[in-house]
Amino acid sequence: MNRDWIAANSHQITAALLQHIQLVGLSLLFGFLIAFPLALLAVRWPRLYGPSLAVTGVMFTIPSLALFILLMPFTGLSMATSLIGLTLYTLLILFRNIVQGLRGVSPIVREAARALGYTPARRLFTVELPIALPVIVAGIRIAAVTIIGMVTVTALIGQGGLGQLFITGFTLSFATPLIIGFVLSVALAVMVDLALVGILYCLTPWQRGVR
Amino acid sequence: MPIDSALPTRGSVCSLQEDTPLTNDHRQRVSAEDRDTHDSSAIVFEGVTKRYDDGTVAVESLDLTLPAGELTALVGPSGCGKTTTLRMINRLETLSDGRLLIGDRDVMSVDATRLRRQIGYVMQHSGLFPHKTIADNIAVVPRLLGWDKQRIRERVAELVELVGLDDTLAQRYPHQLSGGQQQRVGLARALAADPPILLMDEPFAAVDPIVRAHLQEEFLNLQRRVQKTIVMVTHDIDEAMKLGDRVAIFAQGGKLAQFDTPTCLLAAPASEFVVDFIGADRELRRLALERLDSLELDAGLTAPRDEIVARARSYLQQAGSSGIVVLDEARAPLGWLDWDTLKQADDRARIDSLPLKPWRHRLYVHDNLRSALNALISAPGEVMPVLNAQGRYLGVIDQLQLTRRLS
Repeated sequence: MNRDWIAANSHQITAALLQHIQLVGLSLLFGFLIAFPLALLAVRWPRLYGPSLAVTGVMFTIPSLALFILLMPFTGLSMATSLIGLTLYTLLILFRNIVQGLRGVSPIVREAARALGYTPARRLFTVELPIALPVIVAGIRIAAVTIIGMVTVTALIGQGGLGQLFITGFTLSFATPLIIGFVLSVALAVMVDLALVGILYCLTPWQRGVR
Repeated sequence: MPIDSALPTRGSVCSLQEDTPLTNDHRQRVSAEDRDTHDSSAIVFEGVTKRYDDGTVAVESLDLTLPAGELTALVGPSGCGKTTTLRMINRLETLSDGRLLIGDRDVMSVDATRLRRQIGYVMQHSGLFPHKTIADNIAVVPRLLGWDKQRIRERVAELVELVGLDDTLAQRYPHQLSGGQQQRVGLARALAADPPILLMDEPFAAVDPIVRAHLQEEFLNLQRRVQKTIVMVTHDIDEAMKLGDRVAIFAQGGKLAQFDTPTCLLAAPASEFVVDFIGADRELRRLALERLDSLELDAGLTAPRDEIVARARSYLQQAGSSGIVVLDEARAPLGWLDWDTLKQADDRARIDSLPLKPWRHRLYVHDNLRSALNALISAPGEVMPVLNAQGRYLGVIDQLQLTRRLS
């Protein structure tokens, strides 16, 4: 570890970290905005579930580097390339968990909501989604941790947040940036995961002491 | 009608009942002419049919009027359309044909969501929202109706008490409650906005028999106070007879086999199907519907516990009885003293020093005749003392009285 290097490059490290967080946050947000309506459709019309799962599943299997290179002719070395790729990776996990969560709501509870006079929208937002929340948040956690690791790959197309530190370390054959990038990336993953667990705990008071 | 002729003739009470203003046709006429508030919650099926897309007919041209303020039990074998009938009332099922009126409103002309908020609904498995506290579960419909917070809080407190829940449970979650408690919450939730109509789909089926009997009893008391128009689906004919002011028996294929009061169903079943459904023990069931205070009790032969043997013996000889009911100072029966014991005893002994035979059951004047028969089977001396609510002796009954009552 070279403390002088850290001090001299603290500005670059902070910028990399912030970009990392930005890429993760945005790709999760876009991923959710696409997966959520898709999941609602798949719950409403179960026939859509299989094909949707297949498409998002295939996207998940494309090697990340290959995907970014495939996108290059269209969006170049831009943040868009990085975001599109990352977003596609979140889709499978988010879609599958939102569907599973909503399907896990007992039909008796759904029927009760109907019989008591809930409108379909109100039932979705005040009954079904809250009950599905633990499964949905579990999906967000997996997606977040996966994406935090994957962002570093996009350094190869000039993005990549903390991934840039890896490239720096690799080109200079110098360990300090590698270690800093690694530690910050892992710390970020752990913190985001813990934060999501904490948020879920606060939002689901009925779950405490169940298990 | 070859089948009907094989059945016992209709009792006078039931043929009389058919002429009272409560029968279907008349009620329909009344509700059409005189639309007062009382009748606004009567439920009228006019040629209602429910056909599913695959062609199965769940309910076939049903004509039925469920009077306001009464509890009607819908009963029948599974697949007879009783649940579909219930669910059409709040439009959980759409009717394929016919009209369904609540008061004079055609349910199909009302917005389904609004309609449902005005009709209480209790489910077999409480169907409580697992993510809401008990208080919030009860408050669901008032919130949908936009009541203010203060009013909701007061109403919830009222209901918690009404259905007999401990108010410390109000902030718990459904999974922390027993099945019986959950069912009470389900009832409270259904009653929250004070709807004139309550629909119940096998409300007591999922709790164990002891809790069920208790809940049924409490529910009956509650209904006496609130006087809602209640429609209850059950597959249990005993429950239907116990709780229903009227019972609608459905046959397979959604046809109504008979609609009548429990007493009349037992006394004058309309078809072989109804007889089979009610069961071979319908005479015994009739006993369950009548209380001891409907009988004239026999004063019986009694003696205070400090009576001496010689005097008791002479009472017995004069009355020609086989024994005597010995009472304590509070006139509660101590036991039965029979002639054989009395015969051998010393003249001057007090009778409570002799071996008395106690009764295994206590029978109160508000008990039904079925409990009376049950108690009589094991009663010494073949008579059973009947007590008032304070436990004091009123008189005795014997099996002959019960048999006479049935015939």
